[in-house]
Amino acid sequence: MSAAQAVFSGWMEITDNTVDGRARQLEEEAAIAGLVSQYAGTLYRVAYSVMRNAADAEDAVQEAFLRVLRHRDTLHEVRDQRVWLIRIVWNVVLDRKRRAKTRPETDDVAELARVLPAEGLSAEDRAAAAQHHAHVLSCVEQLPVKERQVLMLSAFEELTSVEIASVLGITESSVRSRLFRARNLMAGLLDHKRSLL
Amino acid sequence: MNPIGQNSIAGASGTGDFEDTLRLIARLSAPEGLEERVKASLLSAPVSSKARILAWPTALRPSAAWMRSAAAAAIVAVVIGGSWGVYSRVQPNQPARTTTTQPRISAQGGFSSAGAMRTPQTLNGPVVEHPAVARPAVAAPLLVSPAAKPVARSKQAPPLPGKTKAASKVIQPAALPKD
Repeated sequence: MSAAQAVFSGWMEITDNTVDGRARQLEEEAAIAGLVSQYAGTLYRVAYSVMRNAADAEDAVQEAFLRVLRHRDTLHEVRDQRVWLIRIVWNVVLDRKRRAKTRPETDDVAELARVLPAEGLSAEDRAAAAQHHAHVLSCVEQLPVKERQVLMLSAFEELTSVEIASVLGITESSVRSRLFRARNLMAGLLDHKRSLL
Repeated sequence: MNPIGQNSIAGASGTGDFEDTLRLIARLSAPEGLEERVKASLLSAPVSSKARILAWPTALRPSAAWMRSAAAAAIVAVVIGGSWGVYSRVQPNQPARTTTTQPRISAQGGFSSAGAMRTPQTLNGPVVEHPAVARPAVAAPLLVSPAAKPVARSKQAPPLPGKTKAASKVIQPAALPKD
C-alpha cells in the first residue's frame, strides 16, 4: 500500500466507522439505562433529603441523568459510577435549592406526614411524628452549610466517609471533623428549642 | 455497607433523635414508576450528537468515499491557490537600512569613563577672548567733588600701572555732574 493509499484509506472506511459509532451509541444508551435501573432510587433519596418534595426530587433525578446522557462519552472513564452519580444529583439539587425560595415549615410537615412510613400509628401520632421530624429538619437548616451537607449525607448508610468526601470534594478528615461539629451544633439547637417549649 | 460505621452516632450524646429523622428520610423508597419516567425523559430529550465543525447538508450528504476525497482535494487546492496568490502579490519588504556605529573606545584604553558624557565638537564659533581687564573711561579723569557720592570702585579693576590710585578711579556715568 502506497503512502497515498494509506492516507485515503481512512476515508474509505467511513461506512465501517458509522457502523461502529452506531454500535457504540447503542452500547452507551444501554449502559445509561442500566444506571437508571440501578441507581434511580438512591439518587431520588439523596435529592429528597435536600429538596423535601417528591416532585422536585424526581425532577432533579431526571436532570441528573440528562447530564449523564450529555456526557456519555466520558462514561467509561468513571471509576465509581455510584459516587459519580450521587455527586451529580447533589450538585443539581444544591443548584435548585439555591434558586428556589424557601418553603414554609408547614409544607415540610405536610409533606413528611404524607411520605414517611406510619405503620401502626394513629392519625394523631402520625401528625406528631411529622411535626417532630419537621422540627428537626428546621434545626438542620440552621446549621452552617458545610456541616449541614456532611450531616445530611452521613444519614445515607450506603455512603462511607470516603465516599462522602468524594461527593463533596473534601478530605475524609474534613468529613469527620465537620460531622462532629454538626452533631454538637444540632444537640445545642435541639436543647435550646426544648428549653423554649 | 458502611464498614467503618462513621455514620452512626459517635460524638455527641443524645443526638440520636435527629439522626433518626435523617435516616428515615434517607431510607425513603422511590416512588413507583420512577425508572420508567426517567427513561422516558431520556428518550425524549433532545440530545445533540457529537459536535462537528462542518456538518454536511442533508441534501449533499456524501454517500460515497470518492465524494469526500474530491471535496478534500478541492479544499486543499483552494487553500494552496489562495496562499500562492497572496504570496505572489505581496512584495517582500525592503531590508531595513541600519547604520552601525562603532563602539566608542576611550583613548586611554579599556577603562570606563565613569559615566562622563562626551559632548560632540561643534563648529568653530566666535572666539571669546580672555576676559578683558576693565579699562578706565575714555574721558579724561575728572576731579570728583568731595560732595559727590563716592563711587564704588570696581573690584575687578586693579590700578593701572604707572598711575596714581586716585587717577585710576573709574567714574560711573551716573555720578557725573549734570550741566
